[in-house]
Amino acid sequence: MRTELSEAVERAWKALGGCGVWWTGEERLTIAREARAARHCTLCHQRKATAIPHAVMGSHTTATTLSPPAIEAIHRIVTDPGRLSEAWYKRIIATGLTEEAYTELLSIVAMTTAIDTFDRALGVPIRELPPAGAGQPSRRRPVGAKPGLGWMPMLAPADVADDDPPLYAIAGRSGGNVQRALSLVPQAMMQFWEMFEPMYLHQNAMRDFGREYRAVSHPQIEMMAARVAVQNQCIY
Amino acid sequence: MDLLRRSGDHSGTDYGLDGIVDGNGGSGVGHEKELLAFVDAAIAGSLTETTKARTAIEAGLGREAMIDAAAVIAGFDAITRVADGTGIPLEPPKAEASADWRARLGIDDYWTAKV
Repeated sequence: MRTELSEAVERAWKALGGCGVWWTGEERLTIAREARAARHCTLCHQRKATAIPHAVMGSHTTATTLSPPAIEAIHRIVTDPGRLSEAWYKRIIATGLTEEAYTELLSIVAMTTAIDTFDRALGVPIRELPPAGAGQPSRRRPVGAKPGLGWMPMLAPADVADDDPPLYAIAGRSGGNVQRALSLVPQAMMQFWEMFEPMYLHQNAMRDFGREYRAVSHPQIEMMAARVAVQNQCIY
Repeated sequence: MDLLRRSGDHSGTDYGLDGIVDGNGGSGVGHEKELLAFVDAAIAGSLTETTKARTAIEAGLGREAMIDAAAVIAGFDAITRVADGTGIPLEPPKAEASADWRARLGIDDYWTAKV
């Protein structure tokens, strides 16, 4: 396995247990544990099979004692991401999860999903969760984050301040919409992209069609990416 | 899919998108059958089918290709959730450039399924 890839996966997994900006290390691991459990939730299976998910009433099959909006967010992101809507997001926020906590929760679910999918695809057991790191969340919100692009405020390249991490200064990141998605919590965004880019391609390699950077070609990579998007009903 | 089209523009190949959406193949991408089977099995979480697909890719493309394919699948299984969990829109130029084939392939229907 490419060293860059194995190191990125290991780093991301370890980061799951580290103290976050809005959740402690222990809370972050609880979110990861719930994300794994969501795949076996009866209510989620029933909702997935209907045209209007929230028309099916009931309780999620949970593995943790996270709050109801956190449980609902984790389960829907894991089991039915393609049908998430702004109305659903607003209900989550109205019932007690802050926008920042939701954004970090989303990054944890996404990283857990990525690494579990990777391990399952490779045919190796899914890994034990890492140990929880110490520390208390700083709850620092980037000053320049502005509403208007997605459901929550985001930090555009021009609004990154000196005391923000260098979100867009790496590997040709242009600050496209998907790159900005997690930027309300810069640490979460950095952790996600430092895992994602070695799995896929760095931005400056994406359109460099004259050179291959992986053992699969550009067309093969993009075909697989497109098929995953179709399976998850993702337009982006 | 936009980048697959652009990749085809670079090589002078007209990759077919329909078979990627419907799963029936015919894109013109090398080792398409094995790679699409790997995606479908890994996303579905089917142990038996994932093992078959992984074996086929290792036989046809080698172990490093299988690992890189697994990484692509894993990364996009995550980034689709980031995109859909934050409500980010397509950038206007991308939306304009892809409007025809998104409508033709039924991808725009994903919008109406959001509830």
